[in-house]
Amino acid sequence: MAVYTKTVLLKDTNLAQEDRTRDFYTTFLQKLGESSLSELVQVVRAADVGVYNQGVVIKVMPDNVMYAHVKDSDIPRIIDATIKEGTPLVDLQIKRAGKQLRIVLRNCGTIDPENIRDYIGVDGYLALKKVLLEMTPEKVIEEMKKSGLRGRGGAGFPTWMKWKFARAVAADEKYVICNGDEGDPGAYMDRSVLEGDPHSVIEGMVIAGFAIGAAKGYFYIRAEYPLAVERIQKAIEDARSCGLLGKNILGSHFSFDLEVRLGAGAFVCGEETALIASIEGKRGTPRPRPPYPSVKGLWGKPTVINNVETLANIPYIFLKGGDHFAKVGTATSKGTKVFAVTGKVRNSGLVEVPMGITLREIVYDICGGTSSGKQLKAVQTGGPSGGVIPAEYLDTPVDYDNLQKLGSIMGSGGMIIMDEDDCLVDIAKFYLGFCVEESCGKCSPCRIGGTQMLKVLERITEGKGRIEDLAMLKRIAFAMQKASLCALGQTAANPVLSTIRYFEAEYKEHILNKKCPSHKCSKLASYTIIQEKCKKCGLCQKQCPAGAIPGSREEGYTIKQDKCVKCGQCFEACKFKAILKE
Amino acid sequence: MDTLTPQDLEKINSEAKKASSDWIKVGMSTCGIAAGADEVLQTLKDEVKKRNVAIDIKKCGCVGMCYAEPLVEVKIDGLPPITYGRVNKEIAMKIVEKHVCGKMLVNDSILEVEAKG
Repeated sequence: MAVYTKTVLLKDTNLAQEDRTRDFYTTFLQKLGESSLSELVQVVRAADVGVYNQGVVIKVMPDNVMYAHVKDSDIPRIIDATIKEGTPLVDLQIKRAGKQLRIVLRNCGTIDPENIRDYIGVDGYLALKKVLLEMTPEKVIEEMKKSGLRGRGGAGFPTWMKWKFARAVAADEKYVICNGDEGDPGAYMDRSVLEGDPHSVIEGMVIAGFAIGAAKGYFYIRAEYPLAVERIQKAIEDARSCGLLGKNILGSHFSFDLEVRLGAGAFVCGEETALIASIEGKRGTPRPRPPYPSVKGLWGKPTVINNVETLANIPYIFLKGGDHFAKVGTATSKGTKVFAVTGKVRNSGLVEVPMGITLREIVYDICGGTSSGKQLKAVQTGGPSGGVIPAEYLDTPVDYDNLQKLGSIMGSGGMIIMDEDDCLVDIAKFYLGFCVEESCGKCSPCRIGGTQMLKVLERITEGKGRIEDLAMLKRIAFAMQKASLCALGQTAANPVLSTIRYFEAEYKEHILNKKCPSHKCSKLASYTIIQEKCKKCGLCQKQCPAGAIPGSREEGYTIKQDKCVKCGQCFEACKFKAILKE
Repeated sequence: MDTLTPQDLEKINSEAKKASSDWIKVGMSTCGIAAGADEVLQTLKDEVKKRNVAIDIKKCGCVGMCYAEPLVEVKIDGLPPITYGRVNKEIAMKIVEKHVCGKMLVNDSILEVEAKG
């Protein structure tokens, strides 16, 4: 068996089209052979080295030095200095800044979620032990206050206050609910936590139960997450059989048990009063607050509802102390936030970052920029209740208050990256359409306002918009914000308002010039054949579903505008870029 | 499992921290399974059995690099933990053959990124 003393990883981090990794690899091996080190050093082509657009990057292990923009001519000195002598070459060296910080996802991808012993092995349930054996409920709430943890579900209400209110109400029964009804398009942080580290959420719930004096808790998880439900159910059974749920947990006087309730997939059931109605077996519609659930919640009893991510933070807070937790983050937003970064981004997935990091760091340093290599246009945060943040605000530190100032919200953590090819009017229409679909219909501002706004947006994207429409959109949005019963209706207009705020010119282009600058709105597009470029191959004619391209291989082809359905299939099919899309 | 006392918790915890054997972890959350982690896990198990290697194969959750699922992480004595991305059946076989049995890393699949913070 070969025993290597060093490993060299290499990768060309420029765009995939000009990937030189293989050439560089061959050269490196050759030079290594010349210095007769082939037996001692293994050279490996990596798939990703975590930095992007920095030329050829190499990493030497176990030295853990990284070089960027490496040229073929650098290879001999890398071999001589770094590999033979172990001396780093300062002029080439880069340090990858550790931008991520894992608190919520601390065990995700590390432990076996179906094995309770794995969880205990990474200090699982030790926070619960500390809480039950050494602390009073008041002290628990005090510690939560020190941590400064705010709800990760969207609104950012301080968790300790919710707990304190629920504790203060005298009642024979109280409840803890875990809100796992994650419904924002593109957001799946909670699913990953439930699937990857279910016990940490359970532990957080038991601690919450102890703090407010509850004996019973409910997991509310959407039925579209079958694997999460399965793993939570297994975790609850395992915890119960170990005496970590049930009567007299860990020999204390505290008893607490959990049950799972499935949501049928209505977006509005993520709203706490609708969620409670759904657990009670009623139709999932919200009711006016106050009274807040912490006073009058499930079955009319004081109830604390916390989001999955919020609960997953709790064991960590009690293991390390509230003060320690509060060291991370900004003045008003403590700890970390998990984002599900999707859309036109190179590396889509989950990132967990300390509050106060900039959007630019998330998009470019962690996720590698846009997948198309094109200019980033905007970042959408907060799902259908949020808004878009244009590229010029990428350097804003991310926290609850800053995002709100920009007209968006932190929300549950969906982050959708958009590039030049995305039409913001179309995006606003998509999100509003989502809320219109999901509106429960109980209150008229949301039911009627949403539908009317959607009609206006559809009109604009079809080239039938009027300039007064912009003022009308704003007027309806204002009424919805003021008069809707729950957060769904109050925030449904946010994507429209924020796109008008930052991209009014794009709306006007649609309305006045009947053009979609990013060619996304198909009704506004027109296709023509550039005759000089056309090779008369006939592919476009074959693809056209409307028979709108008459002609022959001898005479060439033209697109009949009155027959064209603007599907864009000819544009996609043409190998010679001879079709002009306007 | 029997009811645990606070002492039992401490005991399991310290035992787990001492254990340091070789392992292979496969990301088996929805994102991983959707990308084919089931087949990868089965291939790894079959290969290890075929070659009679003693190594723990575990399932774990999603580490966040959903763009590169299925993910396989390998820790064997003498090498740092290595994460492979976009693993398929062929790469899984190579991982056992080259990495686990020969301590040689597999080309074109390693993700050397700081995902775990």
